Amino acid sequence: MTPPARDAGKGAAPAVPLRATASAAAREEQEHGLFEVRKKIYPRAVTGSFATWRWALVWFTQVIFYGLPWLAWNDRQAVLFDLAARKFYIFGLVFWPQDFIYLTLLLVTAAVALFLFTAVAGRLWCGYACPQTVYTEIFLWIERVFEGDRNARTKLDGAPLTARKLGIKAGKHFAWVAFALWTGFTFVGYFTPIKELGGEVLSLALGPWQMFWIFFYGFATYGNAGWMREQVCKYMCPYARFQGAMFDQDTLIIAYDRERGEPRGARGKKADPKSLGLGACVDCNICVQVCPTGIDIRDGLQYECIGCAACIDGCDQVMEKMGYPKGLIRYSTEHAMQENAGVTGIVNRFIRPRTLVYATILATVVVAGAVALWMRVPLKVDVIRDRGALVREVEDGELENVYRLQVMNATESAHRYRIAVEGINGIRVASEAVIEMAPASTRAFPIRIRVPGAEAKGGSQKIVISVTAEDAADLQVREAAAFLSPRKEGK
Amino acid sequence: MFTQRIAWILWPAFLVACGMEVVIFTLFDPADLHFFGEPLEASRMTVYSVGFFVFWALGAASSFLTCFLQRSPWEVNRCPLPATERPEGCPKREGPCCD
Repeated sequence: MTPPARDAGKGAAPAVPLRATASAAAREEQEHGLFEVRKKIYPRAVTGSFATWRWALVWFTQVIFYGLPWLAWNDRQAVLFDLAARKFYIFGLVFWPQDFIYLTLLLVTAAVALFLFTAVAGRLWCGYACPQTVYTEIFLWIERVFEGDRNARTKLDGAPLTARKLGIKAGKHFAWVAFALWTGFTFVGYFTPIKELGGEVLSLALGPWQMFWIFFYGFATYGNAGWMREQVCKYMCPYARFQGAMFDQDTLIIAYDRERGEPRGARGKKADPKSLGLGACVDCNICVQVCPTGIDIRDGLQYECIGCAACIDGCDQVMEKMGYPKGLIRYSTEHAMQENAGVTGIVNRFIRPRTLVYATILATVVVAGAVALWMRVPLKVDVIRDRGALVREVEDGELENVYRLQVMNATESAHRYRIAVEGINGIRVASEAVIEMAPASTRAFPIRIRVPGAEAKGGSQKIVISVTAEDAADLQVREAAAFLSPRKEGK
Repeated sequence: MFTQRIAWILWPAFLVACGMEVVIFTLFDPADLHFFGEPLEASRMTVYSVGFFVFWALGAASSFLTCFLQRSPWEVNRCPLPATERPEGCPKREGPCCD
């Protein structure tokens, strides 16, 4: 029983849906083989409802990825992580390094959402949305355009090098490299304004680092999607290793119905499997041929399975041709397989302690993030005491403290701000109380604050310095500070 | 085995370098950095880029030491062994060793 589940995450390894047919020794040998020298996998093209879903998601994610940097907003790029200026523009919002908390919340949200989706439906991310899957799918499509489907590709790779083969291979790699460079260009376009970047590329005046990162990211895309493919998932991806910890017996997995399928065997279309003593599996190997990671799902759940459901599409087509009911390989759960439960049986178990805990954490983080973002005041003020002079007595017996006001206007329009101070009777700002700030800028202002001598109690007194936009009263920040004065004699 | 080890050394270091890049350069502005007491006269883009490779190299050094120290006493004392004498768990139970 162990071989199939052995690698599927050390934590809650889903144990039994299906048992291995290959002996442990055979598998061991195969694994060692793969460990040392990779056998190239030639995934066969597959059509069907899950393949359609995957292509829909390829289009969805990539239209966003390639299109978003070109979108304009307020006369600038709508989404721009301007690293050189240390400002992130996301539509109407401008984020500064001080807003790191929002990035943290976003990452926590993404992580918990991944946990929740994994607990409910397994490796949805891997199978449909992960860039590795998406780009592999695109690169495989390009490969098919040039080289044909699985059989043609294996034949081509086995054939001696001729001018025709060289031409096909060169064409494929040229298309791959072009696509990869476009991807690298788009990636860098998220960090430096893409329209200027495009102009620089066309006039061959690209900055050295921009050029470097376009090639670096392009090379990574070309290497990962063209050459590495399933090895990234099998050997490099940390998520593939720990996703098993989020699995339990009610997690959707791609499962082969062993009870219905075995004993497997070839038979004629009109033959009665019962009289031949056969199960529904016709042993056509389509499920293996379409698998992008090159596994046999009939051996049970394996950590290499990225949950892409290509084997489901492939098997369903064969079942249809044979006139058997579909779903010999299907999305199911370990419990559902044991109890022969249908869709409602599976869906009813979506709500369980594990998913409730993940959902609660997710909802909390999302709500906290949304509230924090909604309440965020796009104005930041830091009050720093001038360390040089603590306190100074000025004309009319007033005492003066000097501060440095670090003001950050995080809005995209210029504002005039009024500085006010309170906390001690008669306290006032003796320096210029109105400051002008350019859009999305930071500046430091020295300010002098005075208190009538009679009101100074000696030592440190709490005061509040407020900065308010003259054209928007809610654009206000109040910062606490201390006013120092000399201790009076006799006290 | 050699390429495998290279991957073990470089890949985790790459992931860690990505994390380091985000955390360190969110907290520290390259424009504020000093190099031996002198302000660093390099553009932010240069510092980000060079910084990434410094983080990667440091991570790789750590992975390298992990790989180097995890060799079993068998490997340290006796490798390469003839195929028939290779111990349990040796990734090269058969065939040529150390290619």
